[in-house]
Amino acid sequence: MRDSDALDNNPHISRSALEAIHSQVYGWALSRCDFDHATAEDLMQQAYVELLSGNARFDNKSTLRTFVFSVVQNLARSRFRRVSSRLRLVKKYHREAIVQSVETTEPPADDGVWRAVRALPARQRDIIELVFCRELTIEQASAVMGVTTGTGRVHYDRAKKALRKRLQDWAEEE
Amino acid sequence: MQDSDKALRDQVRQGWIGIGDAEPSFETTWQAAQQRHAAGRRRYRRFAGAAAVVAAVVIAVYAQPPAGESYIEVADLLESTYWTAPSDALLPNRQFDIYQDMPVIFESTESAGGALL
Repeated sequence: MRDSDALDNNPHISRSALEAIHSQVYGWALSRCDFDHATAEDLMQQAYVELLSGNARFDNKSTLRTFVFSVVQNLARSRFRRVSSRLRLVKKYHREAIVQSVETTEPPADDGVWRAVRALPARQRDIIELVFCRELTIEQASAVMGVTTGTGRVHYDRAKKALRKRLQDWAEEE
Repeated sequence: MQDSDKALRDQVRQGWIGIGDAEPSFETTWQAAQQRHAAGRRRYRRFAGAAAVVAAVVIAVYAQPPAGESYIEVADLLESTYWTAPSDALLPNRQFDIYQDMPVIFESTESAGGALL
């Protein structure tokens, strides 16, 4: 790590290290926001603000990637809670005002594997994405998801089994 | 990772190809984050400044001694030419004047058995 680009309030994080993992973190943020690019970008900015301000302080206890993924995950969760509580209010008083206006860039629905991944329960989907697409170990993925490694392994095994079964079923149907 | 897992992983990865094409550059995101961070700090400073001003005003208003409750009026003390000790108030007023009402002591010049009565 170059000292010159270390963050003032987070001395164990450098700008260049963040730049190196930016793409992976963005992918993770994107899947946290139902593949809405604008929301994902906002989430990324918010995560960087947390790092710049030192509110999220990295102390080298995990890898930087795991840490930043966790920050994004926590921010997405709190944002989701906020949005869902507002939505509940809106639904209660202005049922007719809800308009679905977000255009997403999800992988095509006719992609068999993706359909199978989407059909998984949330935790299983998350661990599959983290391990398969973001190249985290199960331990790291569990830390990001906020579960123990044992629980992470269970989700991972169940997800793989469910995925295989679905893909096999669809292959037989075709 | 086993071969079957690797095959599954490759399949899943294929589904993700193209998603990150519209990814904003790190530079853009970083600069926007820095601006948000700086704006947040400015907001915090403004709030802290306003809070400090309010606190100073409250202290200035409420920390002054209330008028008319002072034990010693400095102006009166400076103008006066007469002074009495605070303990004078404890003395009885002419009920017992130790300088004038001297007790009469019984005196005798006669002796009785070699001793004065």
